[in-house]
Formats: sequence, C-alpha cells, structure tokens
Amino acid sequence: MATAMQQSPYRGGSGYVARSSSSGLYDVLELILDKGLVIDVFVRVSLIGIEILTVDARIVIASVDTYLRFAEAVNRLDLMSTETQGLPELMEGITEGGSASKTKGVLQGAREAIFGDDDEDDDDEKSGSRRRSSSSGSTTRRKRSSSS
Amino acid sequence: MSPAGAKTAKYVYGVVRPARAKPKGKGIDGKPLRVVTADGIGALTSEVPDAPLEAGRDELMTHARVLERALEHGAVLPMQFGVVLPDDDAIREQLLAPHKPELEAQLQEMDGKGELNVKAIYDEPAILREVLAEDSEIASLRKTIQSQPEDATYYERIRLGELVAAALEAKRERDEHLIITQLAPAAVAMEVAGPIHERMVVNASFLVEEERVQEFEDLLEDLAAEQHPRIGFKLTGPLPPHSFVELSVEA
Repeated sequence: MATAMQQSPYRGGSGYVARSSSSGLYDVLELILDKGLVIDVFVRVSLIGIEILTVDARIVIASVDTYLRFAEAVNRLDLMSTETQGLPELMEGITEGGSASKTKGVLQGAREAIFGDDDEDDDDEKSGSRRRSSSSGSTTRRKRSSSS
Repeated sequence: MSPAGAKTAKYVYGVVRPARAKPKGKGIDGKPLRVVTADGIGALTSEVPDAPLEAGRDELMTHARVLERALEHGAVLPMQFGVVLPDDDAIREQLLAPHKPELEAQLQEMDGKGELNVKAIYDEPAILREVLAEDSEIASLRKTIQSQPEDATYYERIRLGELVAAALEAKRERDEHLIITQLAPAAVAMEVAGPIHERMVVNASFLVEEERVQEFEDLLEDLAAEQHPRIGFKLTGPLPPHSFVELSVEA
C-alpha cells in the first residue's frame, strides 16, 4: 500500500535497545556501500576515497596478536567485580565500531578506518596479520576500488 | 547540458514509482532531485559533474537521506552508492527499460515494508567471565599464567587466547542463531551479514511490514531485556530495503 515508513523516533531512556540517531552514518554505511541495486557494466564513476571509507574491521581471531590480546583481557579480568559496562558506553562502542570502547584489550585490534585518512597506512601494515572472515562484504569493496 | 557548458552526468539514488515520488530536498552537492521516468517507473536522480565522484561523508549521508525521505512516499529500491550514468536517456535505456519487469515486481514487493538492521554486541567483561566460568581448561590455564612472570608464559598466553577465541566463536554462533530465530517470525525476509568486529554477535537486516514494525521492536526489546547485560542491541530503521533488492546481471 501507499505507505509512509518513517524513522521511529529515538526511544530515549526506556528499554534496552539503542536506537540509531539520525546522524548515524556508521549504521548505514555498510548497507549503502555493499547493498542495493547495481548496474555493473555501465558507467560507474570511479570513487575517489572509497578505500579510506572501507569498513575493514573484519579481523580474524586466528592470529598470535589476537590470541595475546584475548589472553591479556582474560588475565586482567577482575572476577570479583560484578560491575558491567553501562549501556550508553556500550552503544558508543558500537557506533565507533569498537575502537573507542573504554575496555581496552580484545578490542584494540578492531579498527575501522571510517573517514580517517591517518588510519590508512596503519591498516595496510596490519593487514598482514588479518584474515577476512567468511563474510563477503569487503571483497566487494576491494573489487570495486581496484576496478575503478 | 548545464548552461556553463561543463559536462554533467546523472547520479542515481534509487528506483521509485513516479506517480508517488515527491522529490523534496537536495541531492549531492545541493543539486535538486529529479525523477527520470520511463513507462511507469522512475529513477530518483540529481546532476553531478562528469568526473570521478567524491565518496566523502557528505555524499554518503546525502545518498542515505535522499532514500530515507523517498521511503516516506512509498516503496523505493535503493541503488548502491556510486551509480552514475551519462544522462537521462542512458538511465532509461540502460536501467529502467531493460529491467522494467523485475523493478516493477520489486516495487510491488517492497510496498509498505522497510529494512530493520540489528546489531548485537557482547559486553566484553561479562562475556569473558562467562567463558571463564564455563571452561575449566581456560580457568586453570589462566591461574597457571597468573602465578608466573609474564616473560615465562608467552606460549601459554597464546594458548589461552586461542582457547578463549574458540570459546567465544562457539558462543557467538549459538547466540546469533538464538537471536535471529527469535526475530525472524516478525519479518518477511532476513539477510545475515555477519559480524564486523570481534565482539559483534549479530549483524543482520530484516525486511518488516510497516504494521509489524512494532511487533518486531517488541520482540527485540524482550530479547535485549533477557540478554542484558551480556549483549547490547542496536536497531536502525526502518530504512529503504538496501539488503533486499537486486538486479539480474544480464538484460
């Protein structure tokens, strides 16, 4: 039907589910870069800067660096403490792709080079110790940037 | 085409029904939005310079916002970011005309539906405590390591991390399955994209009918309450159905 679907208003305070704010580009970035209709053969202007935008956080757990991070996180864990991260902080972590999380350790490897030119080199260096997960997302982007 | 004589091209945001489309607001670079029509279907477009397109925050945001506003007036089939064709004729001849049947079918299918994207993330301390409590090998290895100087335990720490990673992945798969199985009944279709960082449990999109969005949200809210504080949830949408449209390659 001729229906108007609108963004549900942010549900502040109540409930456990965080809602995306209206400026949350990160939350739709993957979708607009990876999904949607494409007409391949036809003119697709080369996208300047698309590599910088790549959400390349698909790190893999199978590396010595990652194992050492996990070990450190587990060793630092205070088993007595029942205090857990508050939801706002947790959601901040989601929005930032994890790298801004207050909990250091396991997450330090999860970097996402969104809108950060400075991150580019760093990412390249690290890519050796990474392996893509079975998810296909970043393959598509790689293809695109190399064919442009 | 432009008065100044500089060559221009057309950026395409998505496919709409021209009768319902009310292009409001601006496109990329503040250019006005126009609907290019062909035989009952239309492409939502704006003019761009005939040059490589900058893919910056503004351009990406504009793409997303234009599509979200279009959704308020009925079904819209989003293009992936970055589709540019030379001119209106090319849009008709290369996009609209050859794909008309499948575009019409998808416009009809997407009527009154939106994409809800769900991300679920582990709380790190909570989940690591669980792993320690459930796995005696991990717990005892941790004790051994903690009783020795760090330099002496390099290989043990690698082993510990390996065990933790494996335990987390097993846990993640179980939790992902549990979560998507509980949400699926409120959706028409589902696309599981998979985690994009180590703590991510679920990264999935659901195609949901407008009248069932509340039901979906309630299911998610129950799930989040149940899983609190070990898993945090984030919901985005309803969005245009990015994950649920496609064009056949040939045509």
